[in-house]
Amino acid sequence: MKHSERLELFENVRARYSVFLTSVLWKLTGDKELFTEAMQYSLFGIWRNVEKLKGEKAGAYIYRIALTANSKAWRNRVGRNGEIPNDPIDPGEDADERLDRAEAAAIVRREISRLPKKQAGAVVMRYLEQQDYQAIAEKLSCSKAGARSNVSRAMATLKSKLAALV
Amino acid sequence: MNDDRLEEILNSIGAEEIPAEVRRIAQDASNNFNKFLRQPNQPAKPSLLELIMRSRTTKLAAAAVIIIAVLLGLPFLPKSTSNITLAGVLERVEQARAFMYKMKIEMTGSMGQNMPAMDQNMEMTTIISNEFGMKMETTTVDPNTGEKTGQTTYIIPGEKIAVTLMPDKKKYMQFEFGDDLFAKMKKQNNDPREMIKQMMACEYTELARSTIDGVEVDGFQTTDPTVIGGVGENVTLTLWVDAESWLPVRSEIDFDMGEKMKVHGVVSEFNWDLPVTAEDFNPVIPDDFEPMVTGMQMPKISEEGLIEGLRLFAEFSGRYPKKLSMVELAQETMAFMTNRDVPEKIKEKIPQARGLDGDEVMKITQPLQCGFFYMMLVQDKKEPVYHGESVGPDDIGAVLMRWKTAQNEYRVIFGDLSAGTVTGEQLAELEKQPLK
Repeated sequence: MKHSERLELFENVRARYSVFLTSVLWKLTGDKELFTEAMQYSLFGIWRNVEKLKGEKAGAYIYRIALTANSKAWRNRVGRNGEIPNDPIDPGEDADERLDRAEAAAIVRREISRLPKKQAGAVVMRYLEQQDYQAIAEKLSCSKAGARSNVSRAMATLKSKLAALV
Repeated sequence: MNDDRLEEILNSIGAEEIPAEVRRIAQDASNNFNKFLRQPNQPAKPSLLELIMRSRTTKLAAAAVIIIAVLLGLPFLPKSTSNITLAGVLERVEQARAFMYKMKIEMTGSMGQNMPAMDQNMEMTTIISNEFGMKMETTTVDPNTGEKTGQTTYIIPGEKIAVTLMPDKKKYMQFEFGDDLFAKMKKQNNDPREMIKQMMACEYTELARSTIDGVEVDGFQTTDPTVIGGVGENVTLTLWVDAESWLPVRSEIDFDMGEKMKVHGVVSEFNWDLPVTAEDFNPVIPDDFEPMVTGMQMPKISEEGLIEGLRLFAEFSGRYPKKLSMVELAQETMAFMTNRDVPEKIKEKIPQARGLDGDEVMKITQPLQCGFFYMMLVQDKKEPVYHGESVGPDDIGAVLMRWKTAQNEYRVIFGDLSAGTVTGEQLAELEKQPLK
């Protein structure tokens, strides 16, 4: 494919999925620096794979690109200082509760970044994007039962990770 | 935590609104990337770095990964002459599946008063395979006699063992190690991947372009002592990277250990595309080799190992080590081995240790594992603080050591070697209490 054709395709994909990418990456990172890193990785991922983003599977590819970008951004962050960024805090809440909630959310986000891609995708689509199992199955190229299984395994892993930390 | 709580957290994340600033950041990143892709293919411009620097909140390190990836993906674009960053180098290095390098270390002087001078030269050839493990061939040269002694160590992560062959003595040693030790061994053996990660976690400067063996290189340098886990002082670590391939060409390190010992190390002769097979990492122990010590456990670099080491030290001496940095701890531990400054009960044990009974040797040297753990905490920027000079085994509730585990959360080892997790406020209260 010519460079000009790739550019045009990239522009179409970017226009179509920019709102989705912003939303899903913010939910997965909850931190501006992590978000910026993940967004840049995603854009590059789209550019590299732009030829694959023409057909029906484009949505599923975009999910994979976003999840991979998120994992890379988290790996850079956790590898650097091991700390989890804090969520913005509502000033009306009780201090302990705020801290607990923000820390728990940050831990959940970090652990999602470490899940196998299918499980991460499944739990993100199910809980962060509120999609039904049929839609998840289509994006993961699996059956509805497979989608349920991926969500279930992801939840079990997240639960065990949190139990170990809390 | 139950399912409801987890679902509640996930749902609350899902319901979060996207802040306006985040939308703007996304738009900026997207626009910058698009502009970059549309820039004409002309030499000397644009600076790829500029693409990322336009985004105000972007971290340079992460941006570099994008830059290098773009370069790999778009070979028709011009290469900037000044955009190599450590993150980009790490990305390239991590693509290598098997590689080799040589390391030369010169140590001169003694570690402290009353300690013998330990002038020594060492050369090491290391092969690392993501698939099969590590192999290190070490030659130690006595600078006085020129006599060389060699040994080969194999680290086989799949079997969780390390085997060292000593052909000069016709002996071998076999160690077992835990799940996390392989990663830590990489740090201690100057694995370039770990070295780059450590360097990235420190303040570092970029050096002017230079030439090594006819290769144009860009340099990075840090003087942060945490890059080597606080093992030494006056540290200077320099990494030279091929300006074309972004792969390390040479690294040099200088630091002081103790009062008088100086260490100079050079890592070079990298081969980043080394063909290897499983056989290369399979230790073949000749029939006439005798086991030196078998079934030894490698030191536990963990909180458990720390407590074990401190307990043993206190058992021998009635107190804890004064410091946990490797140099001071080695000095204090060596005092046991050489019968200096040790209680009578330890003197009784020393002759057994001199007999090189494996268990006894390990018991004597086990306190060193405290130092490994402390070093790891320093490297991981967990801000360890140790009060061995003022806290003893009788100071039950006093804070002997603490380090940061999360924001406003600290792990504490008390004088009686019990452990707990406290908040910053609780820690401040604990550290205010007078010693009993």
